[in-house]
Amino acid sequence: MDLLQIGSYTFSSRLILGTGKFSNASVMLDAVRASGAQLVTVALRRFNREQAEDDLFGPLSSIEGITLMPNTSGASTAAEAVRAAHIARELSGSPFIKVEIHPNPQHLMPDPIETYEACRILAQEGFLVMPYIAADPVLAKRLEEVGCASVMPLGSAIGSGQGLATSGMLNIIIRESGIPVIVDAGLRSPSEAAHAMEMGCEAVLVNSAVAAAGNPPAMAEAFAEAVAAGRKAFRAGLMQKSGSAVATSPLTSFLGTV
Amino acid sequence: MITIELNGKQQPLPPDSAVSDLLSIIGSDGKSVAVVVNDHIIRPENRPSHLLQEGDRVELLIFAGGG
Repeated sequence: MDLLQIGSYTFSSRLILGTGKFSNASVMLDAVRASGAQLVTVALRRFNREQAEDDLFGPLSSIEGITLMPNTSGASTAAEAVRAAHIARELSGSPFIKVEIHPNPQHLMPDPIETYEACRILAQEGFLVMPYIAADPVLAKRLEEVGCASVMPLGSAIGSGQGLATSGMLNIIIRESGIPVIVDAGLRSPSEAAHAMEMGCEAVLVNSAVAAAGNPPAMAEAFAEAVAAGRKAFRAGLMQKSGSAVATSPLTSFLGTV
Repeated sequence: MITIELNGKQQPLPPDSAVSDLLSIIGSDGKSVAVVVNDHIIRPENRPSHLLQEGDRVELLIFAGGG
C-alpha cells in the first residue's frame, strides 16, 4: 500500500485540508468528510462565549481517522510560534505543528529566518514540524537538516489561486529533499494538485480552493481524486519529453504499393 | 472582588477563584480550551488548584478554522 509517511505516522490520503474561510462549520465538516483527508489544519483563536460554534475541536475529533495539525498563524516571530506550538499541543494532543510565520498581511510571505529558528527549536522538542516556506531549495534543505518532518513550499501566495507559479523551484526542492515535500498554498484547481503530485510531491495542502468553491464538499472530492491520480501517475513514471515528434503508428508507405 | 485580564479585557472575579472557577463563570466546560496564565500553560489537572491573583493575564484559546 502506498502510504504517506510523516515521522512515525502513516496516512492513506495525500490530501491535507485546511479548515479556514468556510461559510460555516457544517459545510467545512462535510468538505472534510468528502475529501477523505486524514490530516486537517486548525488555527488557535481566543475563546469567545458569543461564538461557541467557532470551536472546532469537538466536531473535527468526531470524524474518524482525523489527526489535527495546528498552525502557528498569527505568530510573527519564532518565539511567538514556539509559544503557539506549545499551546496547540496541549489542545490537540498531536505532535504535528504547521509552522507559519508571515509578518506582512499584504503578501503573507513566510519569514525564512524566524521560520528556521522556530523549526529548529520545535524539532528538538520532538514536534513533527511542517514549515510553510517560500519555494527556496536552500532553506528547504536547511530545514531538513534541523529535523523537520516535511517542508511545505508555496505554489503561489496564500489564497491567490495562482497555482504552481513556483514549479521550477519546487522541482529542485523535490529532487534534493530527503523528507516529504508538500505543496501548500496557492492552488485553485484539482488539475494543479494532480500536477504537483505528478512532479513528485508527497502530498498537497489546500484550503481556499475548497472553501471558496461553489460547492465545497464536491470540490474536496475532486481534489482527492486529482491527488490520487497524480500520485498514481508519478509512481507509474511519466514518459520522457521529446523536442520533436515521435510517431506512434508505422510510417512505412504502403498505400502506394497496393 | 479582584480583576484579571481575560483575553485582553478586564474581568472581575471573586477572591480565591481557581482557573476552573473562571471557566465555570464564563460557561466553558474547559474540555477544548487551552488556559494560559501569565504565559504559563495551566494543564487540566491543575486548574482546580491554580488560584488566580489580581492582575493575572489569562488567555483562553480554542481551535478555530485555519489553513
